[in-house]
Amino acid sequence: MVNAVSSLGIVFTVVVGTILFALFSLRRIAMSPQEYIVGGRGFGAVFLWVLLAGEIYTSFTFLGAAGWTYGFGAPAFYIMAYGTVGYIFGYFLLPRIWQIGKERGLLTAPDFFSARYGNKPLATFAALVYAVSILPYVTLQLSGLQIFLTYAGYGRVDAQLGAIISFVAIVLFVFATGLRGTAWASIIKDALVIGALLFVGLAIPIQFFGSPVTMFDQMMRAHPSALVLGSATAPKGTIWYVSTVLLTGIGFFMGPHSVAAAYSAKDASVLRRNAMLLPVYQLIMLLVFFAGFSALLIAPGLTGTAVDQSFLVVVQRFYPSWVLGFVCAAGALCSLIPSTALLLSAASILAKNIAGDLFSIALSDRNRVILTRTLVAALGLGALVLWIALKTTLVSMLLLYYNGITQFAPAFFLGFFWRRTTTAGVATGLIAGITLAVFLASRSIAPFGINPGFIALTLNVTLAITISLLTKTKEPAI
Amino acid sequence: MHARMRFLLAGIPIVALTIAVPFVNRAEPRIFGLPLLLAWIAFWVIVTPAFVWGLGRVDHRW
Repeated sequence: MVNAVSSLGIVFTVVVGTILFALFSLRRIAMSPQEYIVGGRGFGAVFLWVLLAGEIYTSFTFLGAAGWTYGFGAPAFYIMAYGTVGYIFGYFLLPRIWQIGKERGLLTAPDFFSARYGNKPLATFAALVYAVSILPYVTLQLSGLQIFLTYAGYGRVDAQLGAIISFVAIVLFVFATGLRGTAWASIIKDALVIGALLFVGLAIPIQFFGSPVTMFDQMMRAHPSALVLGSATAPKGTIWYVSTVLLTGIGFFMGPHSVAAAYSAKDASVLRRNAMLLPVYQLIMLLVFFAGFSALLIAPGLTGTAVDQSFLVVVQRFYPSWVLGFVCAAGALCSLIPSTALLLSAASILAKNIAGDLFSIALSDRNRVILTRTLVAALGLGALVLWIALKTTLVSMLLLYYNGITQFAPAFFLGFFWRRTTTAGVATGLIAGITLAVFLASRSIAPFGINPGFIALTLNVTLAITISLLTKTKEPAI
Repeated sequence: MHARMRFLLAGIPIVALTIAVPFVNRAEPRIFGLPLLLAWIAFWVIVTPAFVWGLGRVDHRW
């Protein structure tokens, strides 16, 4: 029990400390929609780096990637590759998103659809898909949070209650501060995550095997097939790898919170510099792979969803409680901070694109901020209730996030780089793509090992181009 | 010339991290102790910033 108190105490102190640090660092608390939702479009290169890294590296990166390494081996390597591919596409895409955002005063991802295609039903459809897919993504973060708190408490404390309390605290925090608060809190989160990953990815292999290299020597003897991908059409084989890296790389910045982050930049060169330098951050995934393989050698035999907790099992079993406390604190922040960015973007979409554009509610700056903040709190509460009520069935709703969001990519890429693109083409491709992606994914259909989302994206692009060629372009909006 | 250069600078790392990967899908030889597949991916993650830097030069952005 002493152990549980000390490690949970560390988690608690870190979460509270992060919130206080962010509150003290904020020079002004925002109160126009521009300030609250996109940080006044004033973020410089370093601050945006921290915000993007804070949003991208969630508890899934932490638990899921190590779990995949433990459970599947080499297929987990796709996580390091797709982010890097995503940043190359980002070099071209992000400055254009920023530019149209700045020129038209855009706040949310669906705003792009109104600005580029000037079509209200399309923007409303995008708003609904974004808003509906964000909630299960937030509940996934809650499940991650609960795992970290369960481990920090050595399984002796009610982690669900702990998760609820810390989640409510973070929702109140983003209610008060908006996007600037998320960016400030991300500073502590990033520092702690890097520290925790250096520990689990380097200290553990060094202590148990001598070095990561000798750890791989042992892997070569014990699990040689885990170090390579399966044959071409095998599940998670090479065809799966190629199609998945392309799909997720193209969709990398399609999340509504990523689009909002692009709007928040001070200028376009800030985004180009981030696209150049963020791949460096991907390298820390190596440490996650080291941790997953080490856990497989040290604590074999975990199956099912327990593989996601493999390195926590090792830390809990072999290290003092304060080490466990810091690792779990880093994990808890990985669940909480991206949740703030997700809730903020869902709330702003509902306030601006649904309430404002559709029903003409809360059109003044002051009312729009009040409504967005109210919705942050309401959606936070909604996510909490959904999570408590339907924990397991939500997993299938996540398919909508992962497979649906990527289908927005042709609307952005074609919209920016091909003048002939028409609303009819993009809308048809988008609806067909989302429908096919969710259908194939929900039935786990993957012909020849191809990622189902990739098949849907191919259909989406084909339809978007064909129908654009068949329909007349209005004078392009940009 | 300009367009072809941009195409190459963006395309080479993307191809290296996707379509080329099935051809290096082996654990040996080990590079700096890492299995070949992992070393290949890590190498391209490390050099991608140089390609994006090159893109910025071609575009006169820095």
